[in-house]
Amino acid sequence: MTAILVADDDMDIRDLVAFKLEQAGYDVVAVDNGLAALTEATQNPPDLVVLDVMMPGMSGIDVCRQLRQDAGTKALPIILLTARAQEGDVEVGFGAGADDYIVKPFSPRELVSRVEAVLARMRT
Amino acid sequence: MTLAGAALVALAVLLVVALVFGGLIVGGRAVRRAREARRAKLATPARRLLLAIAAGDDDPEQVEALVRLSDEVWQAVEPNAIALLGKVRGEAHTTLVDVFERRGAAWRARSRLRRRDPVARAQAAEVLGNLGRKDALLPLCDLLGDPDPDVRVVAARSLGRIGDAGATQPLLATLASRRMVPQQVVATALTRLGTAAQGALLASLDDPRAPIRATAAEVLGLIGAVGATVRVESALRADPSLDVRISAARTLGRLGTRTALAPLLDSLEPDRPVALRAEAAKALGELGAVTAASALTVLLSDIEYVVAHNAARSLLRLGGAGRAALTAAEHRAETEPDDERVLLGAAHAREALAAAELDDHRRQLVP
Repeated sequence: MTAILVADDDMDIRDLVAFKLEQAGYDVVAVDNGLAALTEATQNPPDLVVLDVMMPGMSGIDVCRQLRQDAGTKALPIILLTARAQEGDVEVGFGAGADDYIVKPFSPRELVSRVEAVLARMRT
Repeated sequence: MTLAGAALVALAVLLVVALVFGGLIVGGRAVRRAREARRAKLATPARRLLLAIAAGDDDPEQVEALVRLSDEVWQAVEPNAIALLGKVRGEAHTTLVDVFERRGAAWRARSRLRRRDPVARAQAAEVLGNLGRKDALLPLCDLLGDPDPDVRVVAARSLGRIGDAGATQPLLATLASRRMVPQQVVATALTRLGTAAQGALLASLDDPRAPIRATAAEVLGLIGAVGATVRVESALRADPSLDVRISAARTLGRLGTRTALAPLLDSLEPDRPVALRAEAAKALGELGAVTAASALTVLLSDIEYVVAHNAARSLLRLGGAGRAALTAAEHRAETEPDDERVLLGAAHAREALAAAELDDHRRQLVP
């Protein structure tokens, strides 16, 4: 089963994303901070990571950069989920190595489509 | 009573007072914890239902089950529902709005706007904003003058979410009010109103209050109001406020129309304020006009660091022509090593080129 790691400090969003992805047939591991996401991703690399950008301590951008620098996780597909919608923020997200960038408020259905698209791109 | 006796009595009284206060604090915490645990217990089954609907399941039975929850259970799950309402869009949002409406949440929220508790007022404003209730426009505009600053911020954000251009003037007016809302919050809310706010924003460029003119100029750029270019150009040239002129320069860069080139070049003149020259140098890079390359190259040796720095970064944004100008400025240091101005320009050029090189390397490393 395809494994997805979800990291968001907002319990409602974390549970919603996990619920929707599980409903779509994915195996989901959810954590509530950046450091836990980094540890989980390096110890048990998932097939894809969904990261909130603004988390206390270590931001999603920092996690993304660190994952890209690690040989074991540098090819891991990463989707950033964030309330920051300015052009510059999107640039920073992609600059950090994200494969996709979803802005809150978001459509849960669209999130699943984007996850599927990123995974399909990685397989080809 | 002896002095020692009085001291003992005082100590005993203090001890009793401390014990009572300690007991009250511990008891209060225990009650709050018990209430929270009860709320969580009540909310758990309903939360699963809520997540299903927020995830986009429009199963009528689930919707109906959520609508029919007892008031006690709904109150327990309502904070989660309000949080999710503001974070999802599309069909999930529409279904959640339907649930809120059918539970009479809009009516209840309106009645809570006048509560004494600022948290209740803020929550009510947030619900109305998330529901997109256009009929809440006036009460929310009134709330922009609330004595509590956090309530004012929530009201401003909710007006942005509702997206009715009628909120433009009231939002701008808070910037000059004794009970103001931070400029960034107002600008974000106005940006969400989109191009429908363009007319009111243009009219606000004639407002006698500078913070209002500055924010109006800024938002015109953020909403991409290309039709406002001429008016923003005249604000850049002639507004008495430096803040307004700086906002106008930034906006002209964002709008990217060719006619902005002349007023932006004019703003680079040495007799203009440093902050304006720096912003104009930056805006010329945003504009992407290759014809600005020579003016920006001259600025590389400007004595003001921020002006020269912005000019160098803007040259980078101009592409090949800009990079060529930076490389030429860097090499001039070899032929004119005694000219301090040339050396200064070369240093700025080198810094910009090095930053670009770093960026290129980083891109190579990121797959």
